[in-house]
Amino acid sequence: MNTLNILLIEPDRLLGSIYVSTLENAGYCVVHCLTADTAISALDAERVDIVILELQIALHNGVEFLYEMRSYDEWQHIPIIMHTIIDERRLLHSVDLKKQLYATTYLYKPETTLQQLLNTVRSVSVQTPA
Amino acid sequence: MKQIVTKGIVLARTNYGEADRIITVLTVDQGKIRLLAKGVRKIKSRLAGGIELFSTNDITYIVGRGELGTLVSARLEKNYGTIVKDVERTMYAYDVLKLINKVTEDSPEPEYYLILKATLAGINKSTIHLDYIRLWFYTHLLKLSGHSPNLHSDTSGAKLEQTQAYTLSFEEMTFCPHPSGPFNAGHIKVLRLAYGADSPAKLAHVKQIAAILPSLVQLTKTMLQQHTNIR
Repeated sequence: MNTLNILLIEPDRLLGSIYVSTLENAGYCVVHCLTADTAISALDAERVDIVILELQIALHNGVEFLYEMRSYDEWQHIPIIMHTIIDERRLLHSVDLKKQLYATTYLYKPETTLQQLLNTVRSVSVQTPA
Repeated sequence: MKQIVTKGIVLARTNYGEADRIITVLTVDQGKIRLLAKGVRKIKSRLAGGIELFSTNDITYIVGRGELGTLVSARLEKNYGTIVKDVERTMYAYDVLKLINKVTEDSPEPEYYLILKATLAGINKSTIHLDYIRLWFYTHLLKLSGHSPNLHSDTSGAKLEQTQAYTLSFEEMTFCPHPSGPFNAGHIKVLRLAYGADSPAKLAHVKQIAAILPSLVQLTKTMLQQHTNIR
């Protein structure tokens, strides 16, 4: 039984509930947050092993969340899967966001199946001791 | 204890102890300063105005014995809140803060503050394409660092011509005539306009240059990389 804790930041409630079901059925514990603020609070409150992040979120967006999260020593090494509707080409202009903020993997949400998301989580899990 | 009131823009924040942060602030008249901000950790507390990124702030601080001062109060003057509604603009705004942080010493010229403020205002205006802002920002950083290209004469000292194609000698920062050079009078004219504009918004009024903007952004970015510590 895998007991890794996943923090899912997904602003769409319906999509979020689908991802939560899928991940929980695969044996993961999932905390679902709709905003960056609640996600930071969740990081404070619980042990988190993997973050799945949508960049396009209201108020404080996912990029802000990434910078905020990575500014704390205790959260430096938590793997992040960017699972987002933002096309990767739009991210290229930035000073290598993935490298600077240690985002482990990028998944383009409109083209990613639930199985691919699950496979990615499994792949990241292998490198992340529970 | 000496207390100073000034205006500033937060460039970076790092953690200090359990609940405090050290903020790096570019001020309008006190250079770049580092301040201890107490009890402002985590996103919920940074929402309090004054230490928010992408904003100008009225800041009061106590000068420390060392290089670290203590933030007494911060009041939000202008928040460029539209920036964070767009992920690409947010990423670029972070890049701009990082670049400014890299190129400024402890006592940078006040112009750096003005450039940063104008750039954030430009990014905040969603109708201005980011390439206008990038070009304006890079040209003005080049100007401040003393590495502007020669936009008047070529490597032989002759006046730049309307019909001539050019390459750029990065060493001399001067255009060099070349039959298949990628730059022409149109590029040079836009560079002049970028240097002459006092804000990205002004540059954005120049129409029909969208096609050559990406190459000029790349050119000016490469100039910066060649002549400063920016990577």
